[in-house]
Amino acid sequence: MEISRRELFQKITTGGAAIAASGGISAALTGVAQAEETPQVPPHALGMLYDATLCIGCKTCVVACTQANGLTPDTRTDPLHQAPADLNNHTKTIIKLYKEADGQTSFVKQQCMHCVDPACAAACMFGGLKKDKNTGVVTWNGKYCVGCRYCEVACPYNVPKFRWEGFNPEIVKCEFCKDRLAKGQEPACTTVCPRKAVIFGLREDLLKEAKRRIAANPGKYHEDRVFGEHEGGGTQVLYLSHVPFDKIGLPQPGNESIPQKYLKWQKRLYSYLVLPAGLYAVLAGTIRKNWKDHEEHLEEEEKASGLRAQL
Amino acid sequence: MSKQLSIAEHLQASGVSRRSFLQLCSTLMATAPFGLALTGKKSVLQIADAIGKTKRPSVIWLHFQDCTGCTETLLRTSAPDVAHLILDVISLDYHETIMAASGAQAEAALHKAVQENAGKFVLVCEGSIPTGRDGLYYEMGGRPGIQVLKEVAAQSAAVIAIGSCASWGGVPSADPNPTGAVGVDSVISGKPVINLPGCPPNPYNLLAVVLEYVTMGKLPALDEVGRPKFAYERVIHENCPRRAHFDAGRFANAFGDEGHRKGWCLYKLGCKGPVTHASCSTRPFNELPNCWPIGAGIPCVGCTEKNVVWKIGTFQTVPIHFPTPPDTYPPVYSSIGKVSMGGAVLVGAVAGAIGGAALMGAKRIPASEPVPATTGEPEAQKPGSSSR
Amino acid sequence: MKDTWQRDVPVFNVPIWTRPFKFFCGLAGLGMILVVYREIAGLGPASGMTDAYAWGIWKTFNTMVLTGLGSGAFAIGIAAWIFNKKNLHVVMRTAVLTSFLAYAFGLCMLAIDVGRPWNFYWFFVPWHWNYHSPLLEVAVCMTVYASIPLFLENIPPILDFVYDRWPDQRPLVKKLDKVIVAGFPYVVSLAYVLPAMHQSSLGALMLLGGNRVYPLWQTPFLPLLYVWAAAFLGFAFVTTTLLFSSMMWNRALDIDVMAELNRLTMWLVGLWLVFRAIDLTLRGSILAAFRFNIFAALFWIEIAILIYGWSKLREAGNTRSPRTMFYAALLVLVGGMLYRFNPTTTAFQPKAGAFYFPSAIELLVSIGFMSLGIAIFLYAAKVLPILPGSNELARKMEAQQATQPGISGFAAAPRAGQFATGD
Repeated sequence: MEISRRELFQKITTGGAAIAASGGISAALTGVAQAEETPQVPPHALGMLYDATLCIGCKTCVVACTQANGLTPDTRTDPLHQAPADLNNHTKTIIKLYKEADGQTSFVKQQCMHCVDPACAAACMFGGLKKDKNTGVVTWNGKYCVGCRYCEVACPYNVPKFRWEGFNPEIVKCEFCKDRLAKGQEPACTTVCPRKAVIFGLREDLLKEAKRRIAANPGKYHEDRVFGEHEGGGTQVLYLSHVPFDKIGLPQPGNESIPQKYLKWQKRLYSYLVLPAGLYAVLAGTIRKNWKDHEEHLEEEEKASGLRAQL
Repeated sequence: MSKQLSIAEHLQASGVSRRSFLQLCSTLMATAPFGLALTGKKSVLQIADAIGKTKRPSVIWLHFQDCTGCTETLLRTSAPDVAHLILDVISLDYHETIMAASGAQAEAALHKAVQENAGKFVLVCEGSIPTGRDGLYYEMGGRPGIQVLKEVAAQSAAVIAIGSCASWGGVPSADPNPTGAVGVDSVISGKPVINLPGCPPNPYNLLAVVLEYVTMGKLPALDEVGRPKFAYERVIHENCPRRAHFDAGRFANAFGDEGHRKGWCLYKLGCKGPVTHASCSTRPFNELPNCWPIGAGIPCVGCTEKNVVWKIGTFQTVPIHFPTPPDTYPPVYSSIGKVSMGGAVLVGAVAGAIGGAALMGAKRIPASEPVPATTGEPEAQKPGSSSR
Repeated sequence: MKDTWQRDVPVFNVPIWTRPFKFFCGLAGLGMILVVYREIAGLGPASGMTDAYAWGIWKTFNTMVLTGLGSGAFAIGIAAWIFNKKNLHVVMRTAVLTSFLAYAFGLCMLAIDVGRPWNFYWFFVPWHWNYHSPLLEVAVCMTVYASIPLFLENIPPILDFVYDRWPDQRPLVKKLDKVIVAGFPYVVSLAYVLPAMHQSSLGALMLLGGNRVYPLWQTPFLPLLYVWAAAFLGFAFVTTTLLFSSMMWNRALDIDVMAELNRLTMWLVGLWLVFRAIDLTLRGSILAAFRFNIFAALFWIEIAILIYGWSKLREAGNTRSPRTMFYAALLVLVGGMLYRFNPTTTAFQPKAGAFYFPSAIELLVSIGFMSLGIAIFLYAAKVLPILPGSNELARKMEAQQATQPGISGFAAAPRAGQFATGD
């Protein structure tokens, strides 16, 4: 027996009201629990400043990084030279060349940007990638990683890399040489750069230095700004460049971080599971009522047909 | 020293073999493969021909605040035969280091040389000109050198400032420059001045410039500081024999370390190659490869450049303007991933199979609404359709 | 012939080991062997995945797309139990079984796809979860759903089988019946809340792709569009299954039920298309559809298939033609699958110059699991009362059983001329 249109309308209204109420509670709880959803820069955020105008492409940083992190140099494409074509599971930092037909060139050093609100950490199921609350360094912990590679999908800079061969894969990315940091040393790459094109320090100091350089050399740096101050919610690795940022592989995602921009409603709707619980209550109540009718109907059927009632 | 004979005639008279002369001409061709009308000629024989017809140019060589290194370099060109050759190709009418005269005879020789060749001789200056204390710091025959220079230059056809000292002040001009040493072109005006900086410069650059002027009648193209472009247009870094090491990231980090012993790039030890305009990386001294600082494992100090050699620390690294990186660097965006042939075939096969099965199956589904059965029995098998 | 579906009846006049069944078992076996290879050699050699496209077809197709097909239990269930469409109850078992198979193998595929599966034990340590990760929500919710409510929903046919095969166990069966009756509303509402959550979280997965998912697909409403697409995919898949089964095994169709399914599918698809159009227009992304590139082409193909499918659904509703319903359902399936797949791979550009195509091994593993699901369905439909039929059909089966006692649904050796082989 079909329900009448009126009953349907009533059902939808009551049910809808209940769901909306739970949704409202959920959203309110989110609002209360997180006073603002904008991610904050950690108090002692460490960072790097890379100035593409100073880099000469000597690649000492690549070599030093490989050595300091105990990686084997990537000779897969060229047996004589360590010549990776991109970041990969042997290469945590790389120098690439942007070359235009008219002769404009720039080197670019790529590695993890240690975002203020990292998409990779937001994606990681069990916290394999975690951002340190104090220094903001994003590190990978194999104990919690299941190798789902969601971090690779989420990172707007295509940084985390996976070991695709063999049985015990890992995610490999720059971690600011966390072992060296623990000993009070700087990351290997910033220590060996002959031109001080990449330097290490507190993010706020590096921002000041970058702005000082921009002010001292008006017109030298692209758009007279430093990349990473606000982009994608901010990154702890900052870039100064004389060529447009997208030419050296830095996307322009706007000033909201990916988790902030895209997971807002997920957070609100699932907050404390209030909405799902509300939905469950409404559905259970409805089905209970309909089930009573169905039970009676089943009994009648069984009697009439002589065949076992099917639940 | 005969001035009436042409060079070819003179060489023959001097007993210099034609073979040696041709060797000299081919060295000149190697020195300046382009940028000179003289060496732009197609073959060594043509160069020899052009030079041979010319009258030996008169060259007057004055020393100022110098170490005589530039002269020594000229004399040290390989075998004595070649030095001898150079001296026979040009008519060196006054040169304090190698001439026999001294004292009053020397003064008279200068006066005579200037008078006899007035308007035709090439004046070569070696050493910086002190301007401090009215030129007190250097006197020739009791007169301030700066005055002598002005007088002699006034009679010359062209002035060549050989060496960094004569080009821009050189060693004596290093901070605090007590003598007020400057280059020749800061003192002379109204005459073409060609600077050949270097400490010392390659002697073949001098020879090429002189012969170009004398044989072809014009000076080589000069850059904005008066240096001939054929020799000073590029920086050392652009043509350095160790450039491949730089591009591959192989550096000597300390003197005597493994990289240093293997001959790797000296950039990190403070090599000024990237900012120094000179021809040393392509034309070795003494016609010997590796006979230059970088070849010997010593980072270039930038001796031709006024703003480099006494201004930037010896072991301080320099920026690289206008880098010309090789294509061995990976591009910012590179392609990754490819179509797997097996995969493509499989996708096609599966899509085809499913599509085919669906379409075939659809044909067997009744197109029209099933009519109510009269008996209530399930449908009997239709003839021709197999029970599946 | 028009029939009325009153209960579910096994396919009882067809042998188990038919050629197609053997074919699917063979493909499944091949898939399993290749899974062993993947475990030994690693993900790289066994697939076409690279660091640019870190998710191949295993996660994106077998898990994200096929569980959409397996949302019949969710979608038809809601129609049957929340909106009280009583005539849909009889197709619930088909929906619930296909859903269970799709989910089970989708989850197996997920387990095979991850690189470090030994760390999955953190699944049982909730205080260590990253609650905001959409993938966690998917993994936890799907597993809980498949292993508890969906699994429990599949118990009744097994109880019927036990009741039939082992009459001495009937008291136990009756007791279990009572348990089911008591707990039904609570289990079943969980079976609707959980899919709503994880099907939308499947959409949320690609939200983190940010602007690297082409604007024609990337939208804050991606989760809603995904769960809505799951709904009509579920309907379409069950429709296809019923029509194809009836064709294969010569079972009568209840055209009223089919028409009801068709009508609901039509509304779901129609409104979905309208919503998508409005969403694209309000965000301005619709302009991207008019560029000349592969993405616009993909978009239009997807939309065209769905619009054509919707028109076929309408036509089928008017003509009540099973063949039209079949075509319509197929079109909706293809269009919906395309929609759920595109944002993950074809419309996802991690960086310029990156390209992905599955390798042969990757495809064979994926096909292997699909074949396993099909094979199990083929077997179950013959052994358990899954597919809908009439009371008369059930009595006919009982009559046959009386003469040939054995497990219901198992065919005796076919008598020549009476029942042909085939599947």
